[in-house]
Amino acid sequence: MSTPTRKRRTSARRHSAAPGVRTAGAIIAVACLLVAGCGSKPAPSASLPAVPAAPPLTTSFAAPGGASWTIVEMGGSATDENNFWQVFLRPTATDGWREVTPRGVADNGGLVVASSGGGSLVTGFRPSQLLTYTPLATSTDNGANWSSAGPLNASLASATDALAAGPNGQLIALTTGGTKAELGQRLGTAWSRLATVSSLNATPPGRACQVTGLTAAAFSGDTPMVAASCGRPGHAGIFADTAGTWHAAGPDVSGQTVDVLALTASGSGLVALLRATAGTSASIIGAWYSGGRWTLSSPLRIGAGKLGSTALGPGGSIGVTWNAVKGAIMAGPGKAWQALPALPKRASTLALGSQVEVIAASGQTFRDYQLASGGWSLAQTIHVQIPYGSSG
Amino acid sequence: MNSGLNDNNPTLVAAFRAALLHQGIYVLLIFAILAVAWVSAREWLRPARAARSVAPEPAWRQLLRVGFGVIWIFDGLLQAQPAMAAGLPSQVIEPTAASSPTWVQHVVNWAGTTWSYHPIQAGASAVWIQLGIGVWLIAAPRGFWSRLAGLASVGWGLVVWVFGEAFGGIFAPGLTWLFGAPGAALFYCAAGALVALPERTWHSARLGRAVLSVMGLFFIGMAVLQAWPGRGFWQGTLHGQQGTLTSMVSSMAGVPQPVILEDWVRGFASLTAAHGFAVNLFAVIALAAIGASLLSAGLPEVGLRAPAPWLLKATVIAMVVLCLADWVLVEDLGFFGGLGTDPNSMIPMALVVVAGYLALSPAPAVATEPAVVPEPATPGPAAAAAKPGPVPRRSWQAQPARLARSFGAASTGAVVAVWAVAIVLLGAAPMALAQTNHTASPIIAQAIDGDSAPMDTKAPAFTLTDQNGKQVSLASLRGKVVLLTFLDPVCVSDCPQIAQEFRGTDQVLGAKSRNVELVAIVANPLYRSLAYTRAFDAQERLTKVPNWLYLTGSLAQLQQAWKNYAVAAEIVPGGGMIAHSDVAYVIDPSGYTRNELDFDPGPGTASSESSFSVELTNAAERFVRS
Repeated sequence: MSTPTRKRRTSARRHSAAPGVRTAGAIIAVACLLVAGCGSKPAPSASLPAVPAAPPLTTSFAAPGGASWTIVEMGGSATDENNFWQVFLRPTATDGWREVTPRGVADNGGLVVASSGGGSLVTGFRPSQLLTYTPLATSTDNGANWSSAGPLNASLASATDALAAGPNGQLIALTTGGTKAELGQRLGTAWSRLATVSSLNATPPGRACQVTGLTAAAFSGDTPMVAASCGRPGHAGIFADTAGTWHAAGPDVSGQTVDVLALTASGSGLVALLRATAGTSASIIGAWYSGGRWTLSSPLRIGAGKLGSTALGPGGSIGVTWNAVKGAIMAGPGKAWQALPALPKRASTLALGSQVEVIAASGQTFRDYQLASGGWSLAQTIHVQIPYGSSG
Repeated sequence: MNSGLNDNNPTLVAAFRAALLHQGIYVLLIFAILAVAWVSAREWLRPARAARSVAPEPAWRQLLRVGFGVIWIFDGLLQAQPAMAAGLPSQVIEPTAASSPTWVQHVVNWAGTTWSYHPIQAGASAVWIQLGIGVWLIAAPRGFWSRLAGLASVGWGLVVWVFGEAFGGIFAPGLTWLFGAPGAALFYCAAGALVALPERTWHSARLGRAVLSVMGLFFIGMAVLQAWPGRGFWQGTLHGQQGTLTSMVSSMAGVPQPVILEDWVRGFASLTAAHGFAVNLFAVIALAAIGASLLSAGLPEVGLRAPAPWLLKATVIAMVVLCLADWVLVEDLGFFGGLGTDPNSMIPMALVVVAGYLALSPAPAVATEPAVVPEPATPGPAAAAAKPGPVPRRSWQAQPARLARSFGAASTGAVVAVWAVAIVLLGAAPMALAQTNHTASPIIAQAIDGDSAPMDTKAPAFTLTDQNGKQVSLASLRGKVVLLTFLDPVCVSDCPQIAQEFRGTDQVLGAKSRNVELVAIVANPLYRSLAYTRAFDAQERLTKVPNWLYLTGSLAQLQQAWKNYAVAAEIVPGGGMIAHSDVAYVIDPSGYTRNELDFDPGPGTASSESSFSVELTNAAERFVRS
């Protein structure tokens, strides 16, 4: 054995810890490694304020002049970009439905349609995949012909009333996940900021509501209105912008935490659908504004049910579906909720007019069922050419 | 992270094979040169091999060196699988990191992106580096170069452990010894570190005791983890669902493999499903017992009595048997199914433990290696140098003749080790060069769309309106290379990707972009206003690209341009996007179309976008007037 080797070892020993300490060090190091392994779990998601899930974009509404519109999702999986949203029109109560989806833009992200009456419509294509702004299409002849409008240089919010059409080509668009509202002129060729969640919360009515998100927009005459989810109970977050100042314009909902699901002009008044939540249980409340006051319906309890669609019909009639097979309608202010028979398979939404209808749309087939004495009766079937695989 | 291409994309597979073949020729060439030089030096210079004191390499070190050398070579061969170049990020790196925390995924993602930018260079590099390290370990039994081989194993092992194995999954839930925790490559590192230890550590049993103690602690930790409730290992099946272990084994049984192995693994999966508790109990007890026994090897270090030798021997045998059983029945030999990159952790782990056990025995005493003095066969110019004399000093500053004599005096192993180092460098160099290039290899674009079609025709004229409202004609762009494409401003997939490829082209061109005009013509008959071209430019961050033109016009003008350039732009019913062609043309400064590139952007990954930019840049640069 060579001496230098021994010397080096002696030297090393002198300058290092005792063997036992080194062994203990190694043990601690390995233990740390193991503890790191044992303790590693996916980080819990950060605690976020509870924002109620927005209802899907599936909806129907009656436009002034007697036309009914429904917006439904068809095709296949949204994950594979094989879902395609369609717009259907029933021009009058005696006509059948027909597909009038505007062309030229992939609509996998969803469609939001706003009517300003007289056959005038604006459709917003919610951007999907790599598109980040919102193309708009407009029609003045009940969807027979569409032309491009806008665009809106932001992502339209996912809400059935995220777009509102007013007089003289004015538009309101809720954008950026319901945090901003933009006011558009000349069918969206110019846009300016109307409100944000923070700017609303800086006003007395916004502070009282504690706005958590913008959920609907409407015009009352030429007055822009926005609706919101309120964090503070007792307020229905409906605000009107008169002469540049926001005023509370919603009904008193006495102690309940409320989101506004839908808000639309109806004649000289307004119709709103409210969702009041208490814990995990929810109720739907209809609200009608006419003659300077609000009328509220009795609450329709849907419990923890998953809201499927909303429907606004003529004469202030309202309807909702939930849990895929349940539905209820109310004929107007002062009336009672009427539970519907179990909805047909793949029911998308209700359509309210002279009859109560259920639209069942999936794959390439659109089916219209009408409520008859014996239950739902198939009234019309439309085959829609779905461009599967075209958005990939 | 990945290129998004099919693993077996024929273009990539062919390019990978070609790269391996080319580099393989270099490897053989280097070997031939070294061999000729060595034989020549021995023959002509007749170098004397000095007598020196050497300690025989201890058995534990030999086991680690040769054992891990063989494993590295095996891993290198696995890396040469045809699908590895495109498949490693998507089939190996991404799934491994998927259940790990976000920060681990970020780290791993960096490596995956690097690989996907240069799949051929990266794939070939991994092959040669691993083969080289393996050969190096086996060929260099002692001395500086042998220790350096150990360090190379540590270095590359760490790269594999961090980026390829996502830290061996130690930060992911479901960590278990049975499935290879804490990652095979960590044992490669451990073995490399032991090989790299200086010779003075060979002559004491303390190293063996330390290795066994650490491994003992590791086994105990794994036993605790295995026994931890709520992780699903105690149940073979629960409420009709497979328990964690059953699920893992069943998934292994389903991968392509020899029938006999599949039968064994399936049988064990059935046993686990039926007796999950008993199987896990056995695993926990076995791990704990082995751990405790191995840990006891370190008792003399803290002044306590060493365990009986037979106990350690029996423990090591039991550990090896357990590792082999797990390797076959649970890990399924580690490399079957998908893109196997290594035989998993059981063999490396067993080698480290056995080496630790062997290291308990003191190394043999230092022996003197006799001097070798060759008899000169024929007198020659080197005869004088061959005379026995003073021991030649090893010095890097040696004169060329002395260096040549030293080379001639080297052993076969040393020469092979030099060759192995050359293999490692041959593998590492292209990857290092690729790293300095922040753009992806054009091979990805070629793999997606094939080669461009050369043309030589007068480019059809057009006069349209740019995003600023100015009239632009093709004639007005004369003198510049025009890269022309057709984009739908409201397209949700391909067009934004192509726009980014054009934007990337501008960046890659650098100063040359002054002589290149990037031109897109609207490919949507309905959404073609200036407001939409501007919205698209803003979306794609093209507003600040000075040589970008997005042209539109009346429907008639656009239709004429589409017709002239054979571009389809059809309205699709039912909510579909406009169906249009993905194509790019290269128009030279004199107004001739010189190339047509199929420009379907494919998966639209960062690497594919960058690759198309490079392809476009290369196409443009051929016609740029200096």
